[in-house]
Amino acid sequence: MKKYLSIGFVSLALGGLAAHAQVADFPAQPPGGAAPAAPAAPAGGGQGSSFLGGDTPFFDPGSETIQWDGKTWNINNNRLFEARFEKFLSAPEESEEQDRAYNSILFQILEKLSPNRVDPKSLDEAFGLLPKAAEFRRDAGLCDTIGNQVYSAWMARRNLDRLKQADATLESDRARLERNQRIAAQGSSTSGAAPKDAAAAAEWAKTQQLQRDVTMQPYVTRLAEVNALLNTNKTKRELQELQTKIEFQALIVQLFVQRRFQHVLIATRFYRSVFGDGDSKLRVDGEAKSLFSGTTGMPPTVGTLDAMASEVIRDVSEGIEAFKYLLEKDELESATKRLAETFVVGEYLPQVRTIERDKKRQALAFVQASNKLISALEVKDYSLAEQLVRQLEETAKDFDNSKPLAAIETAKTVAAMHIAKAKNAAVSGDRAGLETELAAATAIWPRNPDLAEVSKMIFSQADVQNKALVDFDQLLSQRSFRQIFDDKERFIAATALDSERQQKLREVLTNMTEIEGAIIRANEIERRGDFAGAWESAERAFQKFPDDAKLNQIRASLTTKAADFVGAIRRAEELEQRGQPGSSLAWFLRAQQQYPNSDMAKAGIDRLTKQILPDAT
Amino acid sequence: MARRSRSSNSVLLLSGVALLVLTFGVGGLLLSTSGDAFRTTAPLEVQAYLENSNSLRGNTYKVEGDVLNQLGYSPSMGRLISVQIDASSDVVPMLIPASLSHVNIQRGQRFIFKIEVTENGILRALDLTKA
Repeated sequence: MKKYLSIGFVSLALGGLAAHAQVADFPAQPPGGAAPAAPAAPAGGGQGSSFLGGDTPFFDPGSETIQWDGKTWNINNNRLFEARFEKFLSAPEESEEQDRAYNSILFQILEKLSPNRVDPKSLDEAFGLLPKAAEFRRDAGLCDTIGNQVYSAWMARRNLDRLKQADATLESDRARLERNQRIAAQGSSTSGAAPKDAAAAAEWAKTQQLQRDVTMQPYVTRLAEVNALLNTNKTKRELQELQTKIEFQALIVQLFVQRRFQHVLIATRFYRSVFGDGDSKLRVDGEAKSLFSGTTGMPPTVGTLDAMASEVIRDVSEGIEAFKYLLEKDELESATKRLAETFVVGEYLPQVRTIERDKKRQALAFVQASNKLISALEVKDYSLAEQLVRQLEETAKDFDNSKPLAAIETAKTVAAMHIAKAKNAAVSGDRAGLETELAAATAIWPRNPDLAEVSKMIFSQADVQNKALVDFDQLLSQRSFRQIFDDKERFIAATALDSERQQKLREVLTNMTEIEGAIIRANEIERRGDFAGAWESAERAFQKFPDDAKLNQIRASLTTKAADFVGAIRRAEELEQRGQPGSSLAWFLRAQQQYPNSDMAKAGIDRLTKQILPDAT
Repeated sequence: MARRSRSSNSVLLLSGVALLVLTFGVGGLLLSTSGDAFRTTAPLEVQAYLENSNSLRGNTYKVEGDVLNQLGYSPSMGRLISVQIDASSDVVPMLIPASLSHVNIQRGQRFIFKIEVTENGILRALDLTKA
């Protein structure tokens, strides 16, 4: 399994396009907490890979992140992966004749390059099939690239042969020169006898040596040149061979990176045929070397890549089998996960490309619902999220609802608590508390239907309250105190939070209570047949509250019934105002004669008496 | 002779009746004016007074009525009483000045007042006598 993962992740890293994120992985997001990280947002670049110079994405299976270009990307919630996987799930299977022909050619090439069957003839036949495979759109010209690399290697090998032939010529030339040099040295030593005189003999020997050196000098010089050429050719040959191998290995690695595992197998088998010296050591350094060596525990070789590619192909086949089996069992979550994992690694393998569209559509439906669920949780639409969870539970027997349901239920509970607090704040008139709790409830569950209901209720209450306040102000300005009194319950509730209006309402209600009391008294007195007394009661209230229609009506009625008394009082008051206290007093006395208990008459008499006799006792 | 006798009897009878009428008339007149000290003073026109006392200012009238109540008393200015006039059920206030304080005035007593309508329409008693 570890090996599979390594291979898969390596290939994923090299491929750089993963669809694993398509399978929902629901974080138990705390209600009210920060929203999940934005899809495809770089999470930091502190540990960027230097693999292939950092030009290639590197996948970290531990954190399920891809490091690329100095940044780290979480493959979960990545829109790019999501789109690619959904595109694959929506696409029809590759079952056309073209696809079958292409797969057949690749199969033939691999067969001809099989280690058990490969020979110069099959090698040539395989080489001949490469251009045919490259004609298919799906191949993307990779077989041509392999063919060109094989051809270049062959050409390089021919150059090496020519260098070897040149070396052979040079070797022959060197042997001839060495022989000539040796002969020249021997001939110089046999020319005459040395003199006996010591001085002459020394001079003779010097001359002989000079002649020998002159004779041998051309051979020595040429021999040095030949040796230098041989060494140069040797170095050139080694370098050229190494360069060719590196170029070929780079191509193989590139194909591995692109997850073109069939092409990796073709290239490695051509490599072995071209370079039959047994040197298959992979000449990569740094993280690329550790990437491959870390998988096998051995120095990387072309054979390592070959084995990895074969393993991937096998594993993809198993993944597809597992997908189909799980699909039959209606275990859509596991099936989709297996398919996503397989797709990440074997996107270009025929096992993946030939999955029936109907099967992929089932996975697509699950993926789309899962993605909707993730989106619903991200935007905190818990009603939709709960609906989707139920839907997924029905369609996928193995759907794990624990995380999304935990997030949904927690959010609902906390939101309900805030709404309850908001209601209490509204009832108690705590506007600040109401706003705070509503904001908190909205932040946790913005589309909470209860929130809308509460808001509607509060707004409705606010409307009623506002209308009542407007009515109150209007009636107050019109001095329509009785209307305020008749609807006092509404105005008491509306002004509960408005101390200024509350004070005005209190005054109105106090006055109206007094008016009502006067009316009740007047009615009671009238029932006893004492119309003058009843009128006097109503009149006293009327003088204080002349705007009350009901009181005015009763007063008018009583005025008619106690016309003489009322007339006497009126006349007395009129004359008093005109400065005729005598006549005024006479009228008050007449009124008192008519209604001895009249307070108004008595008050008038006392008032005028005091006016006439200021020092009266 | 008889005709002459009957004629003289009639004259005598008529003369006697005329004398009797004269006697009763004069006697009645004398009897009626013998208790009214202010018989030369015009009675107050109460209705006019009630309507507009200003029109009566400065005039002197007599008023006869029963004392109803004492409305106020001022040692310096006198007493203010209410009097119910006989002719109507009207009640008028009347100021009995301190100069008439020697007269006892009690509720229910009947008096004839000689009054003057003052500047502010108050009926001020100039004199009074029990009726």
